Amino acid sequence: MAATHLPYTDTKPQGSADFYFAINATFRFLLRRLGREGWVRYLQDLGRDYYAPVNAAWRQGGLDAVAAYWRDFFAAEPGGQVDVVRKPDRVELQVKVCPLIHHLRTHGRVPVPEFCQHCYHLGSARAAMAGLEMRLCGGDGACVHTYATSAAGLPPQDLTQIKENAP
Amino acid sequence: MIGCYDFCGHYEWTFGWLEGAGGHELVRAYWDEAIYRDSQMHATKLIRDKGIPGMLEYWGHTLLEESPDLGFTISHTPDVFRIDFHQCPSRGFLIRNDLKQYRDYCDHCMGWTGPMLADAGYAIDHEHNHRGQCWWEVRKAGTPGGHSPIGAVAGAKDARSLPHWRPPGAKLDRYDKANDPDRKTGPGAPDSGTR
Repeated sequence: MAATHLPYTDTKPQGSADFYFAINATFRFLLRRLGREGWVRYLQDLGRDYYAPVNAAWRQGGLDAVAAYWRDFFAAEPGGQVDVVRKPDRVELQVKVCPLIHHLRTHGRVPVPEFCQHCYHLGSARAAMAGLEMRLCGGDGACVHTYATSAAGLPPQDLTQIKENAP
Repeated sequence: MIGCYDFCGHYEWTFGWLEGAGGHELVRAYWDEAIYRDSQMHATKLIRDKGIPGMLEYWGHTLLEESPDLGFTISHTPDVFRIDFHQCPSRGFLIRNDLKQYRDYCDHCMGWTGPMLADAGYAIDHEHNHRGQCWWEVRKAGTPGGHSPIGAVAGAKDARSLPHWRPPGAKLDRYDKANDPDRKTGPGAPDSGTR
């Protein structure tokens, strides 16, 4: 693969979309077995630990590194339409078609209702490790993620701004 | 967002997290409930309905997606379905990226296919060397055969004929007519003291 900002690389340019079934199934399992609190703890631990190399790159490279990572990330995910927009004080991921939700819906799989909140719990944990903040609005297939420094003065996350996924 | 490109990385990380949160039983339950009964429900239906032709259809598609450079070979006769991995796409991803959160990633395959194939009426003979090479033979439960002689089913593609099948220091796990990830024999078995 060409030079990339992804921490872990494969020999093929894009992942296999059927793995999205397993991500959704993992969430359903965790919510059933450990409850919402356990699911959130899993996402936060994943963000801090598994993604530690990315968080370190963001801490060192700032918002330019954040934008570079997400451009490479979405290039490796099949079926999405996402614009990564670098603004002076933030990076916005403008998700027109979420590859994950799109693939689940196309194949008749039902996302867990809380599915879209995973991006906030995971993303905010990763951002915090990099000295940044993360917010999310929208969901169920289209949304906007915002990564910013504290100087941007983002309002607190309102979880009601993240749509639940309809059955 | 969690991606599919590095799925094997966070999937393996999840095994370790689950073991810390709820012990070995939670990991086993994850493979059974989340992977077999939820994520891979399409495999279950194909194999229950069609038997070996369903296995050909399922693994033919899914392995081609995961490993377009064909690091695997599928062989079959009317009585046995066999896969030989020369370069397992998921174990290979972990090795190349130096990722290890869980003690034996390879257990996950038996962890979900074992119960699935048991419910469909099949048993598994299997060996893996933890280096990305393994083989599987699936037969109707209760029928004879198993651990076929090298080359008897897969010919020259038999993973056991690879020069690096048993490199120095490699730990070979073996299953005989099994469906349970903990029913392994060999150096990696639970009672061997090397786990």
